[in-house]
Amino acid sequence: MELQKFYYDNKIVKMFAYATLFWGIVGMLVGVLVAIQLVYPSFNFNFAFTTFGRVRPVHTNAIIFAFVGNGIFTGYYYSIQRLLKTSMASKWMTYTHFWGWQSIIVLAAVTLLAGYTTGKEYAELEWPIDILIAIIWVIFGWNMMWTMLKRRVKHIYVAIWFYIATFVTVAVLHIGNSIEIPWSFLKSYPVYAGVQDALVQWWYGHNAVAFFLTTPYLGLMYYFMPKAANRPVYSYKLSIVHFWALIFLYIWAGPHHLLYQSVPNWAQSLGTVFSIMLIAPSWGGMINGLLTLRGAWDKVREDPVLKFFVVAVTAYGMSTFEGPMLSLKNINAISHFTNWTVGHVHIGALGWNGFLTFGMVYWLFPRMFSTKLYSVKLANLHFWMGTLAMLFYSIPLYWAGWTEASMFKQFNDAGELVYPNFLQVVEQIMPMYMMRIFGGTLYFLGAILMVYNIAKTVKAGSFVAMEAAEAPALVKEGSMKEGEGFHRFLERKPIRFMILAIIAILIGGLVEVVPTYLIKSNIPTISSVKPYTPLELQGRDIYIKEGCYNCHSQMIRPFRSETERYGEYSKAGEYVYDHPFQWGSKRTGPDLWREGVKTSRNYKPDAWHYNHFMDPQKMNATSIMPKYSWLADYEIDINSTPAKIRVMQTLGVPYPEGYDKIANDDLKAQAEKIAAGLKEQGINVESNKQVIALIAYIQRLGTDITNSTETADNK
Amino acid sequence: MSNTDENKLPHGEPEIDELTNDRYLGGHEYDGIRELDNKLPAWWLYLFYITIIFALVYLVGYHLAEWWPLQDDEYNNELAAAAVVEKKAPVEAFDFESMAPMVAEADLAAGKETYDKICVTCHGKAGEGLVGPNFTDMYWIHGDSTNNKISIKEMYNVVINGVIEKGMISYKDQLSPVQIQQVLSFIITLQGTNPPNAKAPQGRKYDTFG
Ligand code: HEM
Ligand code: HEM
Repeated sequence: MELQKFYYDNKIVKMFAYATLFWGIVGMLVGVLVAIQLVYPSFNFNFAFTTFGRVRPVHTNAIIFAFVGNGIFTGYYYSIQRLLKTSMASKWMTYTHFWGWQSIIVLAAVTLLAGYTTGKEYAELEWPIDILIAIIWVIFGWNMMWTMLKRRVKHIYVAIWFYIATFVTVAVLHIGNSIEIPWSFLKSYPVYAGVQDALVQWWYGHNAVAFFLTTPYLGLMYYFMPKAANRPVYSYKLSIVHFWALIFLYIWAGPHHLLYQSVPNWAQSLGTVFSIMLIAPSWGGMINGLLTLRGAWDKVREDPVLKFFVVAVTAYGMSTFEGPMLSLKNINAISHFTNWTVGHVHIGALGWNGFLTFGMVYWLFPRMFSTKLYSVKLANLHFWMGTLAMLFYSIPLYWAGWTEASMFKQFNDAGELVYPNFLQVVEQIMPMYMMRIFGGTLYFLGAILMVYNIAKTVKAGSFVAMEAAEAPALVKEGSMKEGEGFHRFLERKPIRFMILAIIAILIGGLVEVVPTYLIKSNIPTISSVKPYTPLELQGRDIYIKEGCYNCHSQMIRPFRSETERYGEYSKAGEYVYDHPFQWGSKRTGPDLWREGVKTSRNYKPDAWHYNHFMDPQKMNATSIMPKYSWLADYEIDINSTPAKIRVMQTLGVPYPEGYDKIANDDLKAQAEKIAAGLKEQGINVESNKQVIALIAYIQRLGTDITNSTETADNK
Repeated sequence: MSNTDENKLPHGEPEIDELTNDRYLGGHEYDGIRELDNKLPAWWLYLFYITIIFALVYLVGYHLAEWWPLQDDEYNNELAAAAVVEKKAPVEAFDFESMAPMVAEADLAAGKETYDKICVTCHGKAGEGLVGPNFTDMYWIHGDSTNNKISIKEMYNVVINGVIEKGMISYKDQLSPVQIQQVLSFIITLQGTNPPNAKAPQGRKYDTFG
């Protein structure tokens, strides 16, 4: 057969690889900063855009979408061309993908620091960027499918199955979770509220983990592991079973983020059981990775690339066992809202994503630059630093999580909480936070070492931008052949493969999401729950903007230890006007849901809140909350009130007809009352300042269902 | 090289991997990566089955057979269990009419503990006053205006009733009468300590406690 000549484009791989290194360093450095902020609040620098609440989302977004994202595309562009024996179908799509993705990252960093956020974890970016992401993602996927149609290899390899699943699922998740109505050029409200928003958000959030941090990396593993070890993949049959099981089951598991919270029990149970059923399919990937090394273990001892891969796959196995355990109700009762979750996250993140990326980078650069790695010794040193760093990162956090849970839940014989003051617990875990800083810094320094090593390698080598290759054209074959087997047939029909993958992921998604559209009937309505006043609404937007949800929950679970500490547990019907929900996922500070209830033990007067926002350490010397002193300088953006009210009305929040025109009158009246009250306490602050709105919002929290008792007390 | 025909292995015989003795799959070669024809590991398959059984039992047990309580019932059970324990706790003797500042070391220590847990947020670490008034001077807001003595009973009523319009809540549900007596006795010991950053006097000046 006649051989056709073509070229593999290494330039796009190199560009994505540089971006991976660059954003990896940035993301980790920001990670170290937020870790330091949790010990030394002065590292919030008293500027709005450097406070923890704004910087933490920069860390998560930079690491996930910039470091891991570019890492995916690096390995993807290298492997897919070679697996399909073709260059990419469209050059402009390839490069638009690169520049589009980088501009999304830059826009993300700038807008997040400036406080433009949706307030939903891992989906913080606002609507114009959401649209850009959707466009770039479709360009990436279109190019991929088109390239498949131009391939010179009959069947698509398992790595590509995972790429396909990634493409379709991330598209569905991103669009599904980002349906929002703008009220300004950069801000919007999500169409979902409360319970419904929570279910959609964690359907998205969990599967962002699954289809951004996991499936594409399994694809990379299936290519780079056998390549680096020069060994065959252990079991093709296992690939098939674990691939389909994984993508089908993953999509159902989202509600394990909402256990013991105000979502229907049936949804929680689905989250639990589907997480448990994920153990084996996840481990299928680990087995196929590790057993591929059979017969090559002697190489592992020498080759840093394989060492990184082995630890990566092991970390994957560990976090996919730990994850299902965290999905059990009785374990989640302990782990949720504590540092245990953060420990779990970083075993996956530092171990699986980080180490796989590092191994891949060490493998790729010498090949693309046709030279040897500058220093195997340094790479080994990096390996040991990284491994040690993971231990220093995770062990203290598990210990902290355990300490938090046991202190929060401890009662004395008289039936009182032993540690009623939240700060008692915070003080206790400070040493663990310190050790985490050490672990994180070590991990970061290891990555710097890698950048140096790669820079030296690049200098010594000569880059081959277009690698020549040749192969015969593919002879198209039509329908299924005798004895071919359905899956083997599917592997030469990429479009059909994609459609089946969509069906597999839509089933779980629909079962979980469709009922949530009907959920209004699922939530017992509470007649005393009323929409926020305009001032409270503005205050809520400040709460979101400053990222308070990164440290505070608004979700009291039905445990005696929580109702004793915070007050009546949360009811689904209380959140029906919360666009978006703000339940949070980690309690670095206390829950705030009953903060406004005057009979609760946590109630504090306006003056206390004012002083606390200005300088939390003045109120409690050991507090780690940042100062928010600019809130007393910046004015409430009252011009936005009418548009906000109108969008809320569109979303079904029952403000009276025409209320948008008079809302600011109510806003001003309420603000003046608060300012006058503060004045009586000797605090002079004008009523048009942001802090007034935030106080109004905080004092509203959780009060609707306790109104009756409140009036009794006010007499 | 990669387009060897699917189901025909070279010479009709399976190719064997030398290092593991496993069979290669013919035609499965992608950029030099080959695949072995191994079966699903049995333990893996059983693990998968067990988790599926677990899932079924879980769903049936919680939602159909109702063998185990869901979260609201679980919460009520927890409260009921706690109520049993709390009832067993002895009720301390307390008489409002005869209440006087305590002086025993242990009572003052218990009082300080309560102070540090609760009052400190508004009244300051040393009682210097913050959002709430200063405890270290003889000025009091809620005393009897006809008399120059400030009584612990008057202070007690403030703690029991709260001053909600100023932001102080009622502590009658959180503190036992004796605990309130203890913390008030502790506060009285702060008199005249002159802490730094003391808040300006509020209320009226009294001469003695009584
Ligand atoms: C130098 C290394 C790193 C350091 C020092 C670091 C530090 C941190 C800190 C301090 C937090 C906030 C935890 C809290 O709110 O209590 C955090 C959160 C997070 N980080 Fe990292 N990180 C590092 C690397 C990574 C990597 C490589 C990834 C992902 C690939 C990652 C993903 C995340 C995620 C997803 C969260 C949010 C966790 C949650 O919501 O529970 N981090 N990190
Ligand atoms: C079968 C696999 C897994 C399951 C069932 C699982 C399950 C869980 C559970 C139950 C939580 C805690 C939810 C909560 O209490 O708030 C969680 C959190 C998390 N997991 Fe996993 N996990 C798995 C694997 C992984 C892997 C491999 C990674 C990373 C590569 C990962 C990243 C995360 C992240 C980022 C969070 C934090 C979300 C947040 O609260 O912000 N998980 N996971």
